[in-house]
Amino acid sequence: MLKGLLEHIGIEPGRLNFSWISSAEATKFVDVAQQVAASVKALGPARYLIKKRAEVA
Amino acid sequence: MSDWEPKITTFLCHWCSYGAADLAGVSRLQYPHNFRVIRVPCSGRVSPKFILAAFRHGADGVWVSG
Amino acid sequence: MKHPRFIDMSKCIACGTCAEKCPKKVDDPFNENMGKRKAIYVDYAQAVPLKYSINKDECLYFKKGKCRACEKFCPTGAINYEDKEEKVVLQAGAVILSTGFKTFNPSTFPTYQYASFENVVTSLEYERILSATGPYQGHLVRPSDYKEPQKIGWLQCVGSRDINRCDHPYCSSVCCMYAVKEAMISKEHADYDLDAAIFFMDMRTYGKDFEKYYERAKEHGIRFVRARLHTLEEDPETKDIKVRYADEKGEIQVETFDMMVLSVGMETPAELVETAKTLGIGLDTDNFAATGVFTPVETSRKGIYVCGAFSGPKDIPQSVTEASSAAAGAGLLLSSARNTLTKEKHIPEERNIIGERPRIGIFICQCGINIGGIVNVPSVRDYAATLPYVEYATDSLYTCSQDSQETMAKIINEKGLNRVVVAACTPKTHEPLFQETLVDAGLNKYVFEMTNIRNQCSWVHKDSPEMATAKAKDLVRMAAAKVSLMEPLKETELEVDQRALVVGGGIAGMVAAKTLSSQGYQVYLVEQTGSLGGNALLLSKTWRGDDVQSRLSELISSVESDKNIEIYKDTKLTNVEGFVGNFKTTLNDQNVIEHGIAVIATGGKEYIPNEYLYGKDPRVVTHLELDKMFLAGDQRLKDVKNAVFIQCVGSRVPERPYCSRVCCTHSVKSAINLKENNPDTNVYVLYRDIRTYGQREELYKEARNRGVIFIRYSLEERPVVENINGRISVRIKDHILQQGIAIDPDLVVLASGIIPQDNEALAQMFKLSVNEDGFFMEAHAKLRPVDFATEGVFLAGMAHYPKPIEESIAQAQAAVSRAVTLLARKKVMVSGTVAQANPVMCSSCSVCIDICPYSAPSFIKQGPFTGKAEINPALCKGCGLCVASCRSGALNLKGFGTDQIMAMINEI
Repeated sequence: MLKGLLEHIGIEPGRLNFSWISSAEATKFVDVAQQVAASVKALGPARYLIKKRAEVA
Repeated sequence: MSDWEPKITTFLCHWCSYGAADLAGVSRLQYPHNFRVIRVPCSGRVSPKFILAAFRHGADGVWVSG
Repeated sequence: MKHPRFIDMSKCIACGTCAEKCPKKVDDPFNENMGKRKAIYVDYAQAVPLKYSINKDECLYFKKGKCRACEKFCPTGAINYEDKEEKVVLQAGAVILSTGFKTFNPSTFPTYQYASFENVVTSLEYERILSATGPYQGHLVRPSDYKEPQKIGWLQCVGSRDINRCDHPYCSSVCCMYAVKEAMISKEHADYDLDAAIFFMDMRTYGKDFEKYYERAKEHGIRFVRARLHTLEEDPETKDIKVRYADEKGEIQVETFDMMVLSVGMETPAELVETAKTLGIGLDTDNFAATGVFTPVETSRKGIYVCGAFSGPKDIPQSVTEASSAAAGAGLLLSSARNTLTKEKHIPEERNIIGERPRIGIFICQCGINIGGIVNVPSVRDYAATLPYVEYATDSLYTCSQDSQETMAKIINEKGLNRVVVAACTPKTHEPLFQETLVDAGLNKYVFEMTNIRNQCSWVHKDSPEMATAKAKDLVRMAAAKVSLMEPLKETELEVDQRALVVGGGIAGMVAAKTLSSQGYQVYLVEQTGSLGGNALLLSKTWRGDDVQSRLSELISSVESDKNIEIYKDTKLTNVEGFVGNFKTTLNDQNVIEHGIAVIATGGKEYIPNEYLYGKDPRVVTHLELDKMFLAGDQRLKDVKNAVFIQCVGSRVPERPYCSRVCCTHSVKSAINLKENNPDTNVYVLYRDIRTYGQREELYKEARNRGVIFIRYSLEERPVVENINGRISVRIKDHILQQGIAIDPDLVVLASGIIPQDNEALAQMFKLSVNEDGFFMEAHAKLRPVDFATEGVFLAGMAHYPKPIEESIAQAQAAVSRAVTLLARKKVMVSGTVAQANPVMCSSCSVCIDICPYSAPSFIKQGPFTGKAEINPALCKGCGLCVASCRSGALNLKGFGTDQIMAMINEI
């Protein structure tokens, strides 16, 4: 259900991340956290707030 | 630019990923500090509105984990 | 005798400093001694309670009198070297043994080369290798050189099925399935093309949905090799394992594997045999606690119950079922004493804060140095004090300690606080504690928010205290923003109707009714046919040899004469309304019964074959029909010259891809009966895999000893049954001889599978789900085997999956046990964190109704808001799925409200 949102938002896909991690998978949590941080960092600051504001309104 | 650190709004499921994050702490695993965690009862609680709102309020990224 | 822990449990906060400082490394038994831990330790990261203890045999202080590092560094002074062994005497009316099993130790058997070859591991060691908390942090590597294995072999039946001298005669029941699972997980783990091969005799994937998993494993390229390995050799250089085996055609094959996994079976540990003697309970020849088919959790001594692998090898769902079943047994003995030892707690009256301006108190925990050592707590505290609506902010060394709690309650009252934030460890463990303090201080427990600046901040950002402090401030700000919008929530109480409905009058249904009645509850038992008994009416003997009919008629008459049980025969359900605690069920005779819980025990039925000349030749019968002949003492059975049993008729075929679990044992038992009737009868069993799991394996052995001939066939080459000039001819290809065989039997017995009843209507009425095969789906396949996702409804017997009598009985008792946990409370408390609908906003789109896994939303049936959605708080689990999917914004989740989450998002 959530996956359909990606196109809805219309911003770089790397900014929005989904994952499924069970409560026992601490290492997976850390791995995913590192990936997410790296992927968002690589994209730089989100600069199109105005555009999104228009989209939301 | 290299000093810049993104802020990532993070939604964690109370029963799953939030537990994994707790366990990561117990195991003293280190990871980047960019995440600001909002605990939700289930990742299904996260509506598109929240994700849009997060970006609107200046989040550089959003992570939803069930 | 309680062993000393050398740790004051009330003081230990599980910060782990002691283990960090402890200089003594020891082998970690939790990781099968493949990894290391310290002499002061917790068993594993998720242990409950999460408290450390000292291993006296390894601790340097206990051995050499020096060190005391843990004592020096423990921030709470929890170390107590003077802790003594303590004799504890408990008064109990019943005892439940759930002592479990140990795995077979293959090290003394040269065949397995376990002790000498590094890359031969047991399946349990392999489980640890695969685990993220295992010795290699979840990386799939082999022990000798930590290289990723390219080829892994599993060797089945190690320690089971009498393969070697000193192996056990029984089948360990679980190894086939876990080997398939381990192979599948390994395939997923490896990002390369891993070659996984399982060497087996019979693949016993007889559990619910197991057969499909087995088929999927084949599709994933896991090799299933039907062969016994006769030698394992190690390459002295590479440490690879060379195996030699005869394939199905009898040709010798040689393969080299990077590692071999021994699928070790279960056994009763020697010390448990001693305990059994002390307790005076009987063990069987395999050293398992002796139980009966009709009393699956009762030991030979009254008042002592057993569950799990101590009464025979079994898997998790069966063990969990038996656990509840044993609890039902104990509950029965103790039902007169129920609630006699409970104490009531005094709770102060709740202060009404509605309409008050938020007055937030923020309590920040240093957790010794756990938080305070990284995060600059005073600066977070000073920052917190500047936030809107914050009336008071403080920090303490341990916010969770008893005195801090008292102080907190005092401050709440003195400062007139009406919202509280605690910034400390995880709400998963500590939220209830702080909520209790709020309640003690006269506040509603929901005007509280906890934020995690330990597990998710100080502990994971050790290298950047500044960033950690900044993050802690953000987290506190977010929590304060949320809590200012929190409102007191009500936990509503619902009465639980003390009557029960049992649907189905077979063995499972009758046992459920009887067990409920014995615990003092009134039961309505609804049976769709004109008589009680179900499928058991057609059975002659259990696999253990008990006479089914005599036991069954005892049960029927005890149910029929029971004053607490009201029986409705020839009756069906037509409508069900209500929810947990308050069901209203209409029967086809228009009678309406009210009940608090329901047990679904509608059973299954025999598949009626259309293959193998069934229905066209009277000499071809199903195995239930054969039982009928046994029951009637049919003389023809004595004169049978050649009898052929055909297994998997209607089971394990593409149309019905599940194993019916009971047929192998049933046929083997019937084959033995035929041989007993007349030893000269030639008996052939045509099978695909013989699945006489657990101790039923011994029956299989007996059949072979008596001369029953077992011939294997494959799905692709099924036997052919023809009528040739009045005689029946069965042709089959023998896999060992690699040639066709023809038998002219005068009796053909079809092991026809078990199919579900038509459960669709009942499923809709109670809002239950059925699986692809038509059997009811339990709430969780492993951990909640008798619960439904719908509260107040429970599952027992073959409606769940084909199973033998003892498992149906255990499940029926388990269902009652689970039901009594509701009935005994007399009231159910409904959590405050539930969804709420605003009918004015609702557009009646029904998305919430479709999406909710618990059937909590429904349309209002009358009044001004007819057709709008409403949420039944008794059914709502507070997951918020409906809220997120409501397109009209008519729904909100109390405690995790849209405004509250938005407030948090705002503050990031």
